[in-house]
Amino acid sequence: MGNHVFANYGEVVAMLLFGIGFTNLLLQKNMIKKIIGLNIMDTAVYLFLAEKGYIEGHLAPIVVNGDLNPETYINPIPSGLVLTGIVVSVSVTALMLSLTIRLYRRYHTLDLDEITTRLKKEGR
Amino acid sequence: MEEKMNFILLVPILFPVIAGVFLVWKREFRKRRNLLWFVGTALLITGTFVAVNLMGGERRLTAFYLTKELPVFFKLDALGRLFALLVTLVWILAGFFSFEYMKKEKRETRYYGFYLITFGVLLGLDFSGNLITMYLFYEFMTLASLPLVLHSQTREALMAGLKYLFYSFCGAYLALFGIYFLIRMGNTIEFTPGGVFESGFLAEHETLFLVITMLLIFGFGVKAGMFPMHAWLTAAHPVAPGPASGVLSGIIVKGGVLALIRVLYYLIGPGFLSGTRVQKIWIILTLITIFMGSMLAFREPVLKKRLAYSTVSQVSYILFGLAVCERSAFEGALLHVVAHALIKVCLFLCAGAIIYRTGCKRVEELVGIGKKMPVTLWCYTIASLGLIGIPPTSGFVSKWYLGMGALDSEIPIFSWLGPMILIISALLTAGYLLPVTMKGFFPGEEFVCKREKEPYLMTAPLIILAALTLFIGIFPETVLTVIRTISGVCI
Amino acid sequence: MEFVLNFPCFSILLAMFAAIISSVLKGRGAKILNTFVVSLVGLMSLAVLIFTVRTGECYVYVMGHFPAPLGNELRFGALEAGMALFFAVIMLLSLNGGRRKIKLEIAENKEHLYYVMVNLLLSSLLALVYTNDLFTAYVFVEINTISACGLIMITEHGRCIEAAMRYMIMSLLGSGLFLIGICILYDLTGHLLMSYIHTSIEAIVEAGTYSVPLLVTIALIVVGLAIKSALFPFHAWLPDAYGYSTVSSAAMLSSLVSKGYIFLLIKLMYRVIGFPIFANSKVIDVLFVFGIAGMIMGSLSAIRENDIRRMISYSSVAQIGYIYMGFGLGTMAGMVASIFHILSHAATKSLLFVSAVGLTDVSGNHKDFEQLTGAAYRNKAAGVAFTVGALSMVGIPAFSGFVSKLLFAQAAMDQHEKMLPALIVLAVSSVLNVIYFMKTVIRIYTPVQTGYPSVRAKENKLFVVTLICFIVLNVLLGMCSQPITEWIVQGLNVFA
Repeated sequence: MGNHVFANYGEVVAMLLFGIGFTNLLLQKNMIKKIIGLNIMDTAVYLFLAEKGYIEGHLAPIVVNGDLNPETYINPIPSGLVLTGIVVSVSVTALMLSLTIRLYRRYHTLDLDEITTRLKKEGR
Repeated sequence: MEEKMNFILLVPILFPVIAGVFLVWKREFRKRRNLLWFVGTALLITGTFVAVNLMGGERRLTAFYLTKELPVFFKLDALGRLFALLVTLVWILAGFFSFEYMKKEKRETRYYGFYLITFGVLLGLDFSGNLITMYLFYEFMTLASLPLVLHSQTREALMAGLKYLFYSFCGAYLALFGIYFLIRMGNTIEFTPGGVFESGFLAEHETLFLVITMLLIFGFGVKAGMFPMHAWLTAAHPVAPGPASGVLSGIIVKGGVLALIRVLYYLIGPGFLSGTRVQKIWIILTLITIFMGSMLAFREPVLKKRLAYSTVSQVSYILFGLAVCERSAFEGALLHVVAHALIKVCLFLCAGAIIYRTGCKRVEELVGIGKKMPVTLWCYTIASLGLIGIPPTSGFVSKWYLGMGALDSEIPIFSWLGPMILIISALLTAGYLLPVTMKGFFPGEEFVCKREKEPYLMTAPLIILAALTLFIGIFPETVLTVIRTISGVCI
Repeated sequence: MEFVLNFPCFSILLAMFAAIISSVLKGRGAKILNTFVVSLVGLMSLAVLIFTVRTGECYVYVMGHFPAPLGNELRFGALEAGMALFFAVIMLLSLNGGRRKIKLEIAENKEHLYYVMVNLLLSSLLALVYTNDLFTAYVFVEINTISACGLIMITEHGRCIEAAMRYMIMSLLGSGLFLIGICILYDLTGHLLMSYIHTSIEAIVEAGTYSVPLLVTIALIVVGLAIKSALFPFHAWLPDAYGYSTVSSAAMLSSLVSKGYIFLLIKLMYRVIGFPIFANSKVIDVLFVFGIAGMIMGSLSAIRENDIRRMISYSSVAQIGYIYMGFGLGTMAGMVASIFHILSHAATKSLLFVSAVGLTDVSGNHKDFEQLTGAAYRNKAAGVAFTVGALSMVGIPAFSGFVSKLLFAQAAMDQHEKMLPALIVLAVSSVLNVIYFMKTVIRIYTPVQTGYPSVRAKENKLFVVTLICFIVLNVLLGMCSQPITEWIVQGLNVFA
């Protein structure tokens, strides 16, 4: 067990980060902190993917000097996935931030629960 | 030739429903006379269609498939014929009674609309050839008759309607629970006299089938007003307009009875039930209901409520007959279905006529009513005698058969306890029905009043119903031959 | 290759391009374009459906120039095509039913944005239905979430933005779990195409290695999608999101968005993991338990609710519980029942939302029951439609809800261990449904003197026609369920 963990320390760190991000997104009251949690969570996944795709001593999968031997390069697919994932997470983060700005302008607080109680009090 | 004519089976079901939906949609007629002509014609045409069907031979029709194994299927057998005839007769008579009675009520068109829809649905219930079709129409029956209960739209009616709905649906779901199992266990769900299961198979799964039977009895028993699920009946029936409470109490309650007969005698088979614990529980419950219904009716001051409690008690006579699982008790039960339907409709119509003319609802207000409305009270008296079971009325014959059947059955204790309770309840029935007659005809010397006008549209149905009660009492063979063909194949 | 086989790809791209074009159109133009696109997608799906049902096969459509293990694929059979057709029909009807409200509630300079979101939603739903690639599925799950969020917040009502925020947070938690799940799955198998993953998983299971990681992966993916489709303990965002957004959004969210995720879950069960392997894992029991818990708790919350829209939303929680219960049975029959319930619930719930808005409109926009008294007399079409929807939910024969309950019960009979809880909960939840739906129906049919104006059918033809279409759809599902179940079975057979 111990040596497995040690051999795959990158994945272990990724999972820890994922857990941290997940709990933050779930439990933080402040919306900005929630968004930070979201980003930690997503980054952890990219770390995981990158760690999986990396092969010790191989190059980035960009052909520069005509070397077409696949042994030279690392697995390109996880890198592609990471890129796609980053696009998704950026757009989601932007959406979340814009929502936060909206709510802050209207209610002058970043605490989602407080907004909810206030809305309930308004009775609308 | 017969094959091609099978679609005729659908006509009496669809025609009144379409006519009723038209009325509900139309909402208003320029002249009241047009409305009455429309409803009267629709009732009579439906009656003709039913008669055509009853006259013809056996018809079968698969309308469509609900799922692969579950067709919506209609069949005309002896039991269905009996019920259809009864429904049609009562529906037409009460319909014509309504023409006069509803003059004073609002939203008449809607009333007739749902009256006709319920008629069609009930015929569908009678013609159903398998379990799922019956369940379909059973649910529709609840829904279609709900507006009749809600008609006056007072708060009381609303609460009664809700109560009716909840009890009915809860009952229907209990039954549905059992139906799921029946569909699963049986290789067919078509109603076959005597049951579709082999006795070996039943014995193998005895506990399961006992549970199923129990669920079905409780589920459909709700509609039949069986203790402890009777509370909705006495709330819902009296709030409807007079003729509607008549048909609710006389006919719709029998929907539960029909469902129980279909399930127990045409699917599970009566042989399975006899001698089991479930049968004993059921008999105990029916006996409690009979006694309790009569007792509650005895101390109820409002006439229509009193009649509703009486329905609780009387329908359990029928259930008792079914529970005994013995041939002559079964015949008695079926005869009591006919007798009670005619009598109870007659009684409710009398109560309706009295409310219509004098506005009196409570029993103590009815002193001298026989002087004011003699025809109505005579009909009431004849019907009461029938319900008590005094010869020569139909109630006597049916109770005779019920009692004989119970004595013949070899169930310990209940074979003698049952008839005893029947007799006690008959005495109570006399106690709660006859005072109206006595006070009505003999109000005392100082009582003076003028005679009220009794319109023909009201008296004619009353007289026909009372006459039928007497007729069946004097010539019971006319109905019994039909019933014997049913019981002959079932048991 | 038949030309028809291009249609799934076309319909996804068509919806996507329509979204892009709509962003520069005026509201009216965007509306027309959207209607055209949705109808066209419906027609194309119909053509694909007819074709696939006739041949009875499943087709793979290669996207781009990379061959199978590397490239991206669409894959479709009868089930997918039918689902796409159904989604398009429901979307069109929901939009038409709420057209007037869209005009009223959305600022004029934002109306075209609404249709951008709708088109995006359509394209992502179609992609979720058709795709054969896990990572593509993830991307479109996110697009689906974003467009759904847009649909909720478009009215700019404070409550809606708050609901959108909550919806986003829950959804992102779900998609995070889903993403990490598919990453581990990719790690385990080395593939992203569903059919190839399945082959590898079978090899892994046969070899008996990696049993714990596989279980964890299945659990992560299933929980992720369950959160996104608002299975019982994760439903907190749902009543607000459905209750305060504009009616078309609510109808589409409840009947399409959550169903899209559920369809993806079915795909994962059948095509990626393999149904026998999935049915043998403990995850299925967990789904079953949460499903029946949802059936009860959703209904109980609905009974307590005093706001008609929120009541219908809570009823959605219960109905999603039904679907998960069907999965939890772990049999083919349970799956067929669940898929039928997806259709039946989508048809009924959007009908309820649309008609409920017809009722609140004639009650001064109040949504509480006190004000709704007698609303059915003021807007007759909506009253009738609501009654039909309620009866279908309650499970009256001849409407779609009854058939799905029947199918669930029949499926439960095959499963001896789960039979009793499933049947009891079915019965109890039906009774609870009766309580709150019938209460509402009687309430709206109780006449009362109010100052609210009534609406005649002629004044709002589109609304009435939509309601009639919904009712017909409901009765059709209830009366002629046999060809539909046959189609589901046929589709499931070639699905894996």
